[in-house]
Amino acid sequence: MNNPEQRQSGRREFLARTAKAGLAVAAVGAASYLLYDPAVPTPAEDAGRLVTLPDFSVPAVPAKAMSIVTGAERTRTVDKAIELLGGIERFVKPGETVAIKPNVAFASPPALGATTNPDLVGEVVRLCYKAGARKVIIADNPINDAASCFALSGVDAAARRTGAQVLLPTDSMFKYTTLEGGKLIRNWQVFFEPFIKADKLIGIAPVKDHQRAGASMTIKNWYGLLGGRRNIFHQDINTIIAELSMMVRPTLVILDGTEVMVTNGPTGGSVSDLKRANTMIASCDQVAADAYGCTLLGLKPSDLPYLAKAQQAGSGKIDYESLKPKLTAIS
Amino acid sequence: MRIVTTRRMSQTFFFALFLWFCIVATVGEEFRQIRGWPVNWFLQLDPLAAIGTILTEHSLYYPLLWAAATLILTIIFGRFFCSWVCPFGSLHNFVSWLGNRRKPTAQKIELNKYRKAQRIKYFVLVFFLAMAAFPSIAATLQTGLLDPIPFVTRSFNLVLLPIFDKPANIASASDRFYEGAWLIFAIFLTAILLNLVIPRFYCRFVCPLGALFGVIGRFAVWRIGKNQSECINCRMCEKSCEGGCEPTQNIKISECVLCFNCRQDCKHGVISYQMRPSLAGEVTDPDISRRGFALSVAGGILAVPAIRLTGTLGDNWYHKVIRPPGALPEEQFLKRCIKCGQCMRICPTNVIQPGSFAGGLENLWTPVLNNRIGSSGCQLNCVACGQICPTAAIRPITLAEKLGRDEFEKAGPIKIGTAFVDRNRCLPWAMGKPCIVCEENCPVSPKAIYTQEYFDIIRDGAMIVESAGASRITFVEKDLLPGELATGDYYCLIEGGQRLKVVANTEGSVEVSSGDKPMKEPAAGSRIEIQIRLQRPYVDIEKCIGCGVCEHECPVSGKKAIRVSAEGETRSSKRRLLLDS
Amino acid sequence: MRAKPGQPNQRESVISFGLLGLLFLIGLWIFTAQFNFDMGRFGMSVPVDEVSAAKQGITGKETAALESFAPAGFEASSGVETYTAENLYEKIDGKADFYLDSGFRKLFTRRFKDRNDDALWFEVYLYDMASNRGAFSVFSVQRRPEAVASGVLEPIYTYRTANALYCMNGHYYIELVGSVESEPLFGAIMETRDNLRKNLPVDMVTEITELKLFPAASLVPESFKLYLSDVFGFEKLTNTFTARYKADDEIITAFFSRRPDAQDARNIAQAYHSFLLESGCTDKATTNEALKNLKASVIDSYGATEIIFVTGPFVAGVHEAQNQSAAQKLVEMLADSLLVAAGQKK
Repeated sequence: MNNPEQRQSGRREFLARTAKAGLAVAAVGAASYLLYDPAVPTPAEDAGRLVTLPDFSVPAVPAKAMSIVTGAERTRTVDKAIELLGGIERFVKPGETVAIKPNVAFASPPALGATTNPDLVGEVVRLCYKAGARKVIIADNPINDAASCFALSGVDAAARRTGAQVLLPTDSMFKYTTLEGGKLIRNWQVFFEPFIKADKLIGIAPVKDHQRAGASMTIKNWYGLLGGRRNIFHQDINTIIAELSMMVRPTLVILDGTEVMVTNGPTGGSVSDLKRANTMIASCDQVAADAYGCTLLGLKPSDLPYLAKAQQAGSGKIDYESLKPKLTAIS
Repeated sequence: MRIVTTRRMSQTFFFALFLWFCIVATVGEEFRQIRGWPVNWFLQLDPLAAIGTILTEHSLYYPLLWAAATLILTIIFGRFFCSWVCPFGSLHNFVSWLGNRRKPTAQKIELNKYRKAQRIKYFVLVFFLAMAAFPSIAATLQTGLLDPIPFVTRSFNLVLLPIFDKPANIASASDRFYEGAWLIFAIFLTAILLNLVIPRFYCRFVCPLGALFGVIGRFAVWRIGKNQSECINCRMCEKSCEGGCEPTQNIKISECVLCFNCRQDCKHGVISYQMRPSLAGEVTDPDISRRGFALSVAGGILAVPAIRLTGTLGDNWYHKVIRPPGALPEEQFLKRCIKCGQCMRICPTNVIQPGSFAGGLENLWTPVLNNRIGSSGCQLNCVACGQICPTAAIRPITLAEKLGRDEFEKAGPIKIGTAFVDRNRCLPWAMGKPCIVCEENCPVSPKAIYTQEYFDIIRDGAMIVESAGASRITFVEKDLLPGELATGDYYCLIEGGQRLKVVANTEGSVEVSSGDKPMKEPAAGSRIEIQIRLQRPYVDIEKCIGCGVCEHECPVSGKKAIRVSAEGETRSSKRRLLLDS
Repeated sequence: MRAKPGQPNQRESVISFGLLGLLFLIGLWIFTAQFNFDMGRFGMSVPVDEVSAAKQGITGKETAALESFAPAGFEASSGVETYTAENLYEKIDGKADFYLDSGFRKLFTRRFKDRNDDALWFEVYLYDMASNRGAFSVFSVQRRPEAVASGVLEPIYTYRTANALYCMNGHYYIELVGSVESEPLFGAIMETRDNLRKNLPVDMVTEITELKLFPAASLVPESFKLYLSDVFGFEKLTNTFTARYKADDEIITAFFSRRPDAQDARNIAQAYHSFLLESGCTDKATTNEALKNLKASVIDSYGATEIIFVTGPFVAGVHEAQNQSAAQKLVEMLADSLLVAAGQKK
């Protein structure tokens, strides 16, 4: 009946078959995992299904609209800056979901200052969880490949270290929006998914020189939310930035002027493009934050036409002094 | 407990479950209504739906993850689904048994022999998958036409249930109607009756899902086979073989549906479900040649542009294809709709109908609204169809999105079309008869139908005044019907332009009231027009959402005097009526 | 392992039972899954005005309260019907206007019947009048003359007739109307009413504090009424409480209305006075000191006496009394009471 040879070839055949079956099962598992789409399909032509970004701002408290802290260590200066505005508890309530929008536009290492410093992002995430946030999402729609941008900028590691979830953009996460009163943002794709789930929005941006706009700070940071062929807006850069200030009403913006990119912005490339200014700004008014931040670049607010447009649209005040910003130094 | 008995119990269980899911798929909270019943479970278990949508949309819509379980179990155990779970298969099994049980054994064995035609189902599978797979050349999901789970769901939902539920109305609140159901019935009946020709005809020759299982079941760890080479070849094992796989010699694993009948029928214990291949030889690969495969692929790829030559996705789009609210834009929709009929089943107003060929070949059995059928057009406060669609071809929208509330207030409500007044048929427009039923029934607020007052002279309404006094005007003509003008719609227009409401009339006179102002008595011999006051309906296309209640209620009941067509639907920017603001 | 051909071996049985167990688990899963549902996602259970309803504080708890209970021996014989301002007339026809003018928001109704006797049933009408004053108004104005207050709690806010119980609870006005006169049926009605009182979300007290301002002497018990508009036929007189008093052989009606301030009270009083004069009444002189101090107007209203006076923010008086002296005495008492109230408040 069964001789050893037959048995052996039978066994071999069985093993081969089982191995193939195992591979097939693995393939099914892998395909399911990779292709898994937890979202409902977005209509390809989303005309008419316009969304509006929610208003994430918290009620104003007089004299707690802006704080400027000088010091060398980012994690400490940002702690102080937020503390001066009333503490993280003023902005983040227990159980809330916080969306953080850092500048992760480039696959650039932290040392070059083209992206938001990962330690800073990590510290803000930590603060949010300290305030009892249920979840912190970090999202951006980078110019380069998203995964590499998050990885090389260190933000991904910072997220994993602090327990935040990085949301990499996929097509289904974009929705169409039209900005009321906007000329450029009409029926335009915006990276909307982080907002659906978020109760609060914090923007974190470095101070950078920008060839086209003059400077890239907290308002320009929202450019990352635009989808589609957004570089078309560079033709009217000041209007688009002003419209971004109208479209996005964050809870808080943090402007990192610790190492400021004074030349060759926005990508920089050399450490020598950076100058140490050791300043951290936290603000509920993004126009005021930018107005102060540009002084770190040696500019005046009047050098940035988008500030006037944004102020005119009601997005904030250029005259940051009127907000009575709190100034402190940390040794 | 024999395994075959267990299998039959499993078939009964899943068939009963399937039937129950069909019955409860109706909106409501009671036990016999939808509640939380997972009525799409069979469709979600169906890997053809999952693989089809993966090919067309490049993602796995999360509820279809169940299909992975089916696939994994098939890879490990073989084509169990066909004999243990598939409700359509169970039906075929049952009818085949009914038809064949009295036949002599020899004939049964002969009927269960392997036939080359069993290859056809693989060509069908490849054809459909090719139609789905190639973006920009092909990409349409037509698996639903022959995929057994949508097939049987459709047949029960749209044909059998409406028929058998008619007297008792348990499954639905009222009698249901489905256009073109005769075709679904005919195909269903044919599939069932063919079992009397060859057992499990559909399963062996047509079913693309069975083909899919046959292909991926090749590596199954356990398979049916002979466990000893000494066999008297009585061929009893093939007496009740359901797959037509010929376990006697060179069993065709891809055809074996794990019915275990062979194992039970073998009086000598030769057949078993074992890890080693059958000692009488086995064939794991489906019996299709490379040429056949290539031809199927080519056919599938070419079929799609051929179908689309009609231009129905472009300028020649058919205006009567009104899709339910939440439906994806058409090209995307056709990549996801598996024609299961669940939306038609659950629609509480019975307005969603299976589509016909009129909108193109791809339109067959897709959801299309027919406002004349059912109770009221698309009900305003209902989003049931999107909630039940297993592949989200109709998105599961919220009521807020449908009505344009809360965060969708700026976006506005979803429009599925626009109503157009047919002024040649509308009673106040063409027939001089008052009617504002459409305006009254328009459910949106503010209404999308408004009326404008219009006075029209009635037939033979030109009169000459004989005398007039107080509130009575007497005419020379004496041929009115007494009382006919007393409905409150009739007016007298006298020379000088004053319009008086007619309160009563006799054959030759009317009694009028002039409201606040006194009547300027018309002179004898002057002309008078008897007019009827009409309210002519106009559609405000900015507000009309195309729900079709107006069309449903229009008393011109044949070809309605107000009809919805798909222009203006929000899901398509090309079909806009208005310039966007 | 090979068994005797034709007989199931043990492994086969174990596997078979295992698979049957799996089927059982699947059935169990499906059965439990169906409990977990949210009808709101189908849209249909959400009424059109859900958004504004939520803003008005309508919680759906009324429906829950009506659905959660049936008196002993009874069962619900209808679902809970809900009516809004738009279609209230479908249920109560001509009465609808009265409710609509009194702040009506929603009506919930349900019928209950005796399990053993179809003829024995009652219907609950639960009116959400938005305020306790609205509820009191529709309650008191519709109080039946044959009302029996004994045997019910809070007689001011509850009364019964032979077959029905009427009461108010916070901002709800509740009618429980039985199909026949029957004590057992009424028992079920009482049980239902008690249950509703426990389960209705009432964020307003039932008690109407103004009623205490009526002097107690000779008051006909539970004769309070609140008219919200068009009081005594005069459109400017609104929100007026009335109560009836025994005076010798007559019943006199006293009234008062609290206005926003004293000036408004004077304006209203004057306007009412003029209204009466325009309708053909005439001024009467009075020698009563108290009335003179109050600067009250005494008017002859086709033989009956109407007295109007103002105290603080109150415009008050006596309506169509035959017996002038009794009316005057009543006015004195009422004025005292209102004076105290006016003095205590601004």
